[in-house]
Amino acid sequence: MRAPGFTLTAITALLLGCTGSGGSERGAAGQGSAERGGGERVLVVFNAGSLARPIRAALDTFAAHEGVRVEQESAGSLETARKLTELGKVPDLIALADAEVFPRYLVPAQVDGYVEFAQNRMVLAYTDRSRFAQEMAPDTWWRILLRPGVETGRSDPHLDPNGYRSMLVWQLAEQYYGEPGLATRLETASPLRNVRPKEADLIGLLQAGEFDYIWSYESIARAIGLRYVRLSPAIDLSSPDSATSYARAAITVRGARAGDSVTFRGAPIVYAFAVPRAAPHPALAARFGAFLLSAEGRAILRREWLDAVDVPVVRGMRAAWMPSASDTMSLVGRMP
Amino acid sequence: MDALSVGHDVTRRQDALRSSHSRVVPRLLSVLAALAGSLLLLFLAAPLVELVGTSGGEGLLRLGNDVELRSSLLLTALCATTATLLGVIGATPLAYLLARREFPGRAVLAAVLDLPLLIPHPVAGIALLLLLGRESAVGGAALAVGLRIVGTPLGIIAAMLFVSAPLFVSGAREAFAKVDPRYEGVARTLGDTPWRAFYRVTLPLAGRGLLASSVVMWARAVSEFGAIVILTYNPKVASVLSYDRFTSYGLSEALPVAAALALLALLPLTLLRALRTESRSER
Repeated sequence: MRAPGFTLTAITALLLGCTGSGGSERGAAGQGSAERGGGERVLVVFNAGSLARPIRAALDTFAAHEGVRVEQESAGSLETARKLTELGKVPDLIALADAEVFPRYLVPAQVDGYVEFAQNRMVLAYTDRSRFAQEMAPDTWWRILLRPGVETGRSDPHLDPNGYRSMLVWQLAEQYYGEPGLATRLETASPLRNVRPKEADLIGLLQAGEFDYIWSYESIARAIGLRYVRLSPAIDLSSPDSATSYARAAITVRGARAGDSVTFRGAPIVYAFAVPRAAPHPALAARFGAFLLSAEGRAILRREWLDAVDVPVVRGMRAAWMPSASDTMSLVGRMP
Repeated sequence: MDALSVGHDVTRRQDALRSSHSRVVPRLLSVLAALAGSLLLLFLAAPLVELVGTSGGEGLLRLGNDVELRSSLLLTALCATTATLLGVIGATPLAYLLARREFPGRAVLAAVLDLPLLIPHPVAGIALLLLLGRESAVGGAALAVGLRIVGTPLGIIAAMLFVSAPLFVSGAREAFAKVDPRYEGVARTLGDTPWRAFYRVTLPLAGRGLLASSVVMWARAVSEFGAIVILTYNPKVASVLSYDRFTSYGLSEALPVAAALALLALLPLTLLRALRTESRSER
């Protein structure tokens, strides 16, 4: 029987022709992924992996208050930014582990301004089974990492803020301890095979005993109940007062396009969020943003070990969704 | 016109009606089947056409000047081929056993062999990590003789083998089941040992099915991401590289990598399919 075969080909050709004309509008296709049911009943949040637990806790309480449904997507900060810029997937609120990612990737096309709402510090996390765990101390950690047979995991500096922050800590440690070549030796002690895409990927490997130590954030180590070494504030990127001395360290990673490169200078670790210009439910997103900054919201974030700041900082253009000027320190127009 | 001839006329018309009715329904079904088939074909082909159409040329260009892409594709092909060979060696006896022998626990064994297909891939990666990590018995022993699995191509091969071997087992089992056991019986009565009967009779008869199953296994191995990225992120296989390019540079850099992978994977797939068709027409 010849007819069905012919029909199949004909219909396929016809349909293929149809998609050919529509295929170019990739950017618009994913927009408004959260549009459902017309009303503002769904809140979609994209957040950095290290914010997954605190934001989840805040979302749960907020959802109960407002009677809305919430959806959360956690990924690396740079990957999250790419979801907006490349895939055209726009959430109601985006929260990242490095405030720097906003001006580099998202301002002004995707967001007008952003609010810095929490801080963190770099730590070296480990377990009871880690080699030489009993010898770990705030000022001798680097000697232990350099011992043969000790495996240290870190995340990819090209994909994850924690990855380049680890390397910045090594440079700061080299200066702080007066050990020339220490940064290079620490890099050699944590070879490429010990690298994973983002810091959350390292935890399983640490717990399985594949790594003895991993570079991570204090909030993560505490939330998961890992042991960790608290490094000197002079090198752990936690103290806003040390911003100038942190900036002496710099690391060059791949830029927004192949062949480009971007230099990240050492800076205090600051988390920030924003409501994208194309957010499907801006009013609901603004209420959630205000909730994150409220006393109740801060308490929830802190219960999940995230160090929420008392006075958030607004950067970039002040937008309608942002909390009032009296509650925030405004640095409008002073882009980093 | 008498009554009889009128009656004939009516019957003839009814017959004609019935026969046209009996032609319309199958035609309608044919059209519906063709439509359903076309929609699925479109669903499967359109993303690939779009991918290769927009980025295929760029992808081919990259093959020439992107060293990282070339070495990543080579690594992918080598690891997938190694995993497939290991899978064929290990899974063929299992598939034969499942197809030919009745034994207690056969259903359980078959289910266990299918299980890796159901496990989310990152979970498969974690399970393999627990088995092959340096703290485990297997991984520790391997490390003691200088074989590091996690973080090396061995980890890639392990992940590929785990997620793709079940496809070979089920395909090969079907292939063996299709071979009439009586042929083996005849070979045995003519004095062949069981091994010789298997080698001379069953294996050639099931050969095409086995080859097809190994192609499916290879293709599945090439496309794996979730389990590999847990075990071995560096060196990067093509799937990891395209994820990495997407995250650090965006779509414009990720698509050529994906297109190059799709085009390259097409080569061996087409080649092996052609090989099968040829051997079938020879028969």
